[in-house]
Amino acid sequence: MAIIRNKRRHGLVALSLILPFLAIFALVFAYPLYEVVRLSFTDAPLIGEGNWIGLDNYVRLFSDRIFYISIKNNAYFVVLTVIPTTLIAMVIALAVNRLSGRWQALALVLFFTPYVLPVSVVTQIWAWMLDFQFGVLQPVFTFFTGKPVPVFKNPYWVLPSIAVVTIWWTNGFNVLLILAGLRNIPTDLYEAAALDGATRRQLFARITWPLLWPVTALVLTLQLILQLKLFDQVYLLSEGGPFNTSYVLLLMVYREAFQLNHGGYAAAISLILFLLIAVVSVLQYQLLRIGRGKDT
Amino acid sequence: MSGVKLTNVRKSFGPLDVIKDVSLEVPKGEFGVFVGPSGCGKSTLLRMIAGLEDTTGGKIEIGGRDVTAVEPAKRGVAMVFQSYALYPHLSVAENMAFSLRLSRAPKHEREEKVREAARILQLTDHLDKKPSALSGGQRQRVAIGRAIVREPEVFLFDEPLSNLDAELRVQMRLELTRLHRQIGATMIYVTHDQVEAMTLADDIYVLKGGHVMQSGRPLSLYDDPDNRFVAGFIGSPAMNFVTGKVTGTGNGIARVACADGTLDVALQGALPGPGADIILGVRPEHLAPVEEGGLPVTVEVAEELGGSSFIHARSATGADIVFERRGQRDRLDGQSLRIAAPAENVLAFLPDGRRLR
Repeated sequence: MAIIRNKRRHGLVALSLILPFLAIFALVFAYPLYEVVRLSFTDAPLIGEGNWIGLDNYVRLFSDRIFYISIKNNAYFVVLTVIPTTLIAMVIALAVNRLSGRWQALALVLFFTPYVLPVSVVTQIWAWMLDFQFGVLQPVFTFFTGKPVPVFKNPYWVLPSIAVVTIWWTNGFNVLLILAGLRNIPTDLYEAAALDGATRRQLFARITWPLLWPVTALVLTLQLILQLKLFDQVYLLSEGGPFNTSYVLLLMVYREAFQLNHGGYAAAISLILFLLIAVVSVLQYQLLRIGRGKDT
Repeated sequence: MSGVKLTNVRKSFGPLDVIKDVSLEVPKGEFGVFVGPSGCGKSTLLRMIAGLEDTTGGKIEIGGRDVTAVEPAKRGVAMVFQSYALYPHLSVAENMAFSLRLSRAPKHEREEKVREAARILQLTDHLDKKPSALSGGQRQRVAIGRAIVREPEVFLFDEPLSNLDAELRVQMRLELTRLHRQIGATMIYVTHDQVEAMTLADDIYVLKGGHVMQSGRPLSLYDDPDNRFVAGFIGSPAMNFVTGKVTGTGNGIARVACADGTLDVALQGALPGPGADIILGVRPEHLAPVEEGGLPVTVEVAEELGGSSFIHARSATGADIVFERRGQRDRLDGQSLRIAAPAENVLAFLPDGRRLR
């Protein structure tokens, strides 16, 4: 009897411990999610009730030209940022790891500082540096293309430019993660490999790369999720232009919800984005894990 | 197989001299052990032989070849690390074959050598496992296997047993001795544990503060130490030391007043004059209770080991004295008694630590 009563009390204590979390989770995640799903089947404005219209929002979405432009741009941006930023972070981390003491700290501060800046400051800095008339980087464009380029107003340059800004802004964090991964590799292993006759390239290929792979996979996945959620930089630098060529899904959500007052339609787009991120990131992480298994 | 010869080897880290002018030779096929307290430079010396540390001065020769400036992989040495340094992402077989893969040895040769090493080390059933699935002792054997596969001229061991529990350590000690007999290679082994040094070594090199204090066969170091440091470091429990003054000499014997008693010490050379300060050293197994003479002590604790017991006592002047008793079961706790040792078993040291013979 005592054991049964204790078991029951045990259950009650456990429940009381997780209840606050469950309540907050339900309030700020589950309920809004439910509301978004519900809204996406209505023609509701941003505030207020709407009428149930079934799948109309989705039907409209799949015939919306800007939706396809946005999807394509999101994918293009992922290609432009995720792997490049990871590779750049790895090169920087490997270089920083070879510095010692004070120099290493200084290099880390320099690479990490942009990450601390708010997005509006970052975009201001780059808008100024790439300004068509006064930008300090315009001579570079002039050198390669023969004339200054208004990068944020040029359909070909706009997304690559935003990608460069984004990599510059967020790279410090990736450097930090990869550096932590590098420091976790015991120096003994490098010494043992040196005695085994490994060259520098073999040290990287057979020790550093495989042992760093879990961190690399993490960085790739975090970057994928982060870059699919692209909004601020586009909003502040190009506002989706020129001619809607830099539209992305979140910008579309913003315009439909807050500028055109289409709450239901915006909910449908955000639900699609949510599913996209969930599926792609789970898929990627699984693929990377399989890759790791093969790596040995 | 080759011997290892160090000539006036020095190593400094900035202003800190870690190895100060070490010259020694480990003859080919011998098992040499570097032993000393932590910070004595023994691991640094081993890493210098391996090529993992630069040499500040002097010459390192392996098999008669000057390797002082040769890179680690080309010195013909293999090293077993304290942490084992196994590649965690590779299986046991891949770990052992790593060096052969790097040198692009043919597959059948790799497999054959790994199989042979696995047989010697009883790892055949574990070849496909990752290091994380192995016990400490098995990991240790994989690390040794990785060294064997390279067929080095010299094996280097950096405190390889210190991460194992006591029982496994004894077992691995035996296996290492057996392995040395089996492959006959030159081996250099670093440890802070003098029991390991005594049981494994052909020759022991006792280091302190970057110097070799003494080298030689384990028993010659035990019986005939050159200085107080070696006398105290080799042997467990450690040698007893008491300070005293010479009161009289004659017939190659000096009588020393110490700890409110007297001990005689036999010396072959010139005897110190009366009144000279002297430190006497006596091993626990040479001390025994006597009716009169000797040192008065009070027994504090007895460590019973079954076949023998170590009696921890305190002298009248407060010095700790340990002596061994064999085959006697009566307890001496709290008793006051006198103990002494035969004059030829008492060693004498000058106050600066040098041995007086």
